[in-house]
Amino acid sequence: MRHSRHPLWKFGRFLRDANFSHFVVSVVVILVIWSITSATIDNPGRYLPSPLAVALSSVDMLYKGILPSYFADTIRRLVLGSIIGLSLGIPFGLLLGLNRTISDMFYPLLNFFQSISGIAIFPIIVIWWGNSDKTVLAIVLYTSFFPLAYTVLSGVREVPMKYIHAVRTLGATRFQVIRDVLLPGAMPSIVTGTRLSISFAWRAVIAGEMLAGREGLGWMIFTGQDADLTTQVILGMLMIGCSWIILDHYLLRPLEMDTIERWGLVQR
Amino acid sequence: MPAKLIVQGLSHHYPDEYTGESVHALDDINLEVEDGEFVSVVGPSGCGKSTLLNILAGLLPYREGSVTVDGNVIDGPGHDRGVVFQEHAILPWRTVARNIGHGLELQKVPKGERNRKVKEFIDLVGLEGFEDRYPHELSGGMKQRCAVARTLCADPVVMLMDEPFAAVDAQTRITLQEELIRISIATKKTILFITHAVDEAAFLADRCMVFSRRPGRLIATVDINIPRQDRNWNEMSSNSEFTRARDQILKLVRGEVSADEA
Ligand SMILES: Nc1ncnc2c1ncn2[C@@H]1O[C@H](COP(=O)(O)OP(=O)(O)OP(=O)(O)O)[C@@H](O)[C@H]1O
Ligand SMILES: [Mg+2]
Repeated sequence: MRHSRHPLWKFGRFLRDANFSHFVVSVVVILVIWSITSATIDNPGRYLPSPLAVALSSVDMLYKGILPSYFADTIRRLVLGSIIGLSLGIPFGLLLGLNRTISDMFYPLLNFFQSISGIAIFPIIVIWWGNSDKTVLAIVLYTSFFPLAYTVLSGVREVPMKYIHAVRTLGATRFQVIRDVLLPGAMPSIVTGTRLSISFAWRAVIAGEMLAGREGLGWMIFTGQDADLTTQVILGMLMIGCSWIILDHYLLRPLEMDTIERWGLVQR
Repeated sequence: MPAKLIVQGLSHHYPDEYTGESVHALDDINLEVEDGEFVSVVGPSGCGKSTLLNILAGLLPYREGSVTVDGNVIDGPGHDRGVVFQEHAILPWRTVARNIGHGLELQKVPKGERNRKVKEFIDLVGLEGFEDRYPHELSGGMKQRCAVARTLCADPVVMLMDEPFAAVDAQTRITLQEELIRISIATKKTILFITHAVDEAAFLADRCMVFSRRPGRLIATVDINIPRQDRNWNEMSSNSEFTRARDQILKLVRGEVSADEA
């Protein structure tokens, strides 16, 4: 874990990883089943285009510049929504975890909104802001904020009493207990909450774009269905899944490894 | 010179929020610990030993009786009383060196002086070479050494220890006990050591206080007149003072246990 974090080194590790060969096997199996199915059904162009057809359409869309621009739109929304979600959700969760009065005030509300999924909040947002960028962002923010705040709050609450006691007997003030025990103790929850929150945000962006977008990967899937362009639908799905795997593997997992695994707070 | 630690008429009841009754944990405890003295407390499980320690540490508020350290009435935790808990409570997100120096850091001792003292205590407990390791990379015994060093490094007036060696294996426990003797000679600390192991109580302490079953009452005090530097396990089995003290403590503890069970 003390090795360099050069991207090439990490890619090399990914390839050397025993899991990677298993992963390749499963991908090949799926591609084979997919090709055979596509070759044997009627009208594959409409129901299940072959992997080759999807690959060709991706080349076409890349060439026309649609794919990069849709991809960039989606990523932009994800990044913006996540940054706002994280910068509000983490402090809010911490505040609730650290202060009894504040948590008594807001906890029921937190619970209330936890139960209303992003899709259920959608209609009211559309009534307010119509089919716009703002609507999509609002859904991303909403979906990522509550689970994050909730996870961080529990993280602070679950810091073992023995650490707090130990540091108080070393003469720590309340502020020092927060700084040296509660914040680092809540770190695993902040990190897992962040990962969770971004994965929720990713799904919310796609759903938001399908329902209220004008561009982006979600929009691409949605219009693909309307226009009977099944290759476009499948391509969109592939882009969504693959982007997530890359994002998780290169950004979110390393974040976890550098903090909580270094401290031995989780077992791998 | 007045005693370092004075407990007078201390009783404690835990309220039970569900039944409204209360658990009587400590009953009229009176004791004194002199400067530089090593006192052990033994008693059956559940007799209120940890309760006493938590009150002394300032972690548990008390209403009946009075407790003073160096003449100051105890009102909350403070770095004049260091605690080593049964379950080592060193912070997983700090390295060994930063755990040991934590008390000084909290007291805003300058870095240079802090590092010097941390080094001194790392050497004292034999953790050289592990300064930059995290607690999960240490063995159980090393974690306890780290916890002891952390408490000592903050330079408390009294060190309170609650069954600190109960969770390690028998071999390590013997080593840690001998190390604690060496450390107590080197630092001349006043130590209150809680245990349920009679051997340990007699081996370590100048004086052993025996508690009754709950509600905990101080039923006897046994003096153990063996010079600190003579205390090592090789010689103890043939030391008549040790065997006398140990057997006496054992009888007191046993008598209490069987009297209650009958
Ligand atoms: N927080 C609490 N609330 C209610 N009762 C408690 C609480 N803590 C301890 N007790 C009760 O007080 C009594 C004394 O507990 P204490 O932990 O002081 O015992 P102990 O002598 O340290 O025992 P052991 O040797 O097993 O550690 C026990 O009967 C226990 O059930
Ligand atoms: Mg106890």
